[in-house]
Amino acid sequence: MPLLSSSALQLLRQLLNIVVISFAIFLLVRAVPGDVIDFYAARGDYDTQSLAAMRADLGLDDGLSTQFGLWTRAALRGDLGLSMRFGTPVADMLVHALPASLKLAGASLLAGLALGMGLAVLALAAPRSPAAAAIESLNVWSIAVPTFCTGVLGILAFSIWLGWLPIRGQMLLPVLILGLDIAGQIAKPLHEELRETARAGFIRTAHAKGLSPWRIAWRHILPNSLSVVIALAGVILGGLIGGTLTMEALFGLPGLGSLTLDAIRGRDYPVIQAAVMLLATSVVVVNVATTLLHRWADPRTARRQA
Amino acid sequence: MSTFRRLAPWVLLAVALTAAAIGPLLPGLDPYHQDLLARNLPPGPGHWLGTDSFGRDILARLVAGTRLTLLVAVCSAGIALLGGAGLGLMGCVAGGPARGAVYAAFDMIRTLPPILLSLALMVSLGVGTLSVILAVGIAFMPLFGYVARAVYEREMASGYVAAARVLGIAPAAIAWRHVLPNAAGALLTQVAIVVPRAIVTESVLSFFGLGVSPDVPTWGRIIATAVSYAEQAPASLLLPVLALALTTLSLSVLGNRLRDRFDPLGARA
Repeated sequence: MPLLSSSALQLLRQLLNIVVISFAIFLLVRAVPGDVIDFYAARGDYDTQSLAAMRADLGLDDGLSTQFGLWTRAALRGDLGLSMRFGTPVADMLVHALPASLKLAGASLLAGLALGMGLAVLALAAPRSPAAAAIESLNVWSIAVPTFCTGVLGILAFSIWLGWLPIRGQMLLPVLILGLDIAGQIAKPLHEELRETARAGFIRTAHAKGLSPWRIAWRHILPNSLSVVIALAGVILGGLIGGTLTMEALFGLPGLGSLTLDAIRGRDYPVIQAAVMLLATSVVVVNVATTLLHRWADPRTARRQA
Repeated sequence: MSTFRRLAPWVLLAVALTAAAIGPLLPGLDPYHQDLLARNLPPGPGHWLGTDSFGRDILARLVAGTRLTLLVAVCSAGIALLGGAGLGLMGCVAGGPARGAVYAAFDMIRTLPPILLSLALMVSLGVGTLSVILAVGIAFMPLFGYVARAVYEREMASGYVAAARVLGIAPAAIAWRHVLPNAAGALLTQVAIVVPRAIVTESVLSFFGLGVSPDVPTWGRIIATAVSYAEQAPASLLLPVLALALTTLSLSVLGNRLRDRFDPLGARA
């Protein structure tokens, strides 16, 4: 029972978090000097009266609380408003952009998890192999070197000097770069946890039964150490959001990141707001899911917190 | 640890700091001077590292970029330190709802990845050097707030603070005179960890065109300009990328060493 109520409490807190963040983003986006009408005015030939009429038409002359109230009520019905630049529904734009970003993020996540787990298990099963050193360097690299630097180096090496890949529109380099980044983040803590688990009694039993070290590493030690990876889910998602944003901009890929950056440059409030809120909400949701999943995978956590 | 591995980050950092310190004093290195007849030159005499797409000297821009990038990052970390530790300690001293509000705000800021939050902040602050410093500073405030709270709680539980309270010293005075000096080590370690992350965040923002204004040559801005001319002038792209990567790498390595040695609160991610 205490587990349920503390989870419910956390859920409530995070829900409140989403509302407050939404309002903060709403305010932030509207605190910008200049709006979309200024953007039009700078490009076209309009007189003051027609500009004022356009503002009134878009509801830009209403009070902030009125605007937020209207926005929230509509958003709860799935209506995120119209893009101020294109006149198309924002929800449609997001739905249209999402698959490309999910594909990039998903492929990177898979590559990163496979590489990170592979390296950690390799370093455990074969301690004298260079895997441990690779984990260490990859960890420092992924923390210290931003993905756009790796991206630029990749473009220089593979597209310009070797000529193997086109600069724009390919997904191999972005997936590789983000995958390495994720692997660098999870391999080190996972390796430490694997070594911790390897000291447990049931592992000694498995050795005594005559199982091969590889089988023990994959089937016995790894599943019992995965809670570390779950705990890092929030951090990984944060890195992935920044990473897909960068990769889409750098490699000219369509997706949520390109959409957001484009909307920011064009001051398209409804799109900026909806995209940032979508990303923020996904972080909060993943954080909640992480906590719950972590407790389920490792009941010791719940006892420790109680 | 081999001598090379121990010293390499210090040497790289020293090079960067020297460039930042004496760069503007060197004659003939004007990062803004355009020579449109000498665009995209390869490294050679006259321009040691070549020129970029506007015919500007890459070495001069790199040196100016080092100064600006480090300056922006250190100022952001300073804002994060002052705001995070200051608000955190004040909240802790005031206690009750004030403390709750401060840390609820920090929790909320921490929910968002720094790059997303600073992006949202840049939308409202507008492009510019001061905006970047503020946006990045705010994004990293919680890190200092949590350190301040941890040290505050540890020190408040100690015997000498109890003694000070018995003597009737005001809580604010205890925080200022006893907690703060004890927190200094942990907070400065945190600065060493935040500075490279601030460099990265600023670079990414500037790379998106949402950081410093286009004419301010921080590394991120230089890279953003050079990316379009990667084929004609690869040197103007490669060098700032390497400068950025090596500097953040050395700073992170040094920050981690500092934390392993001095941080009483143990290693955190």
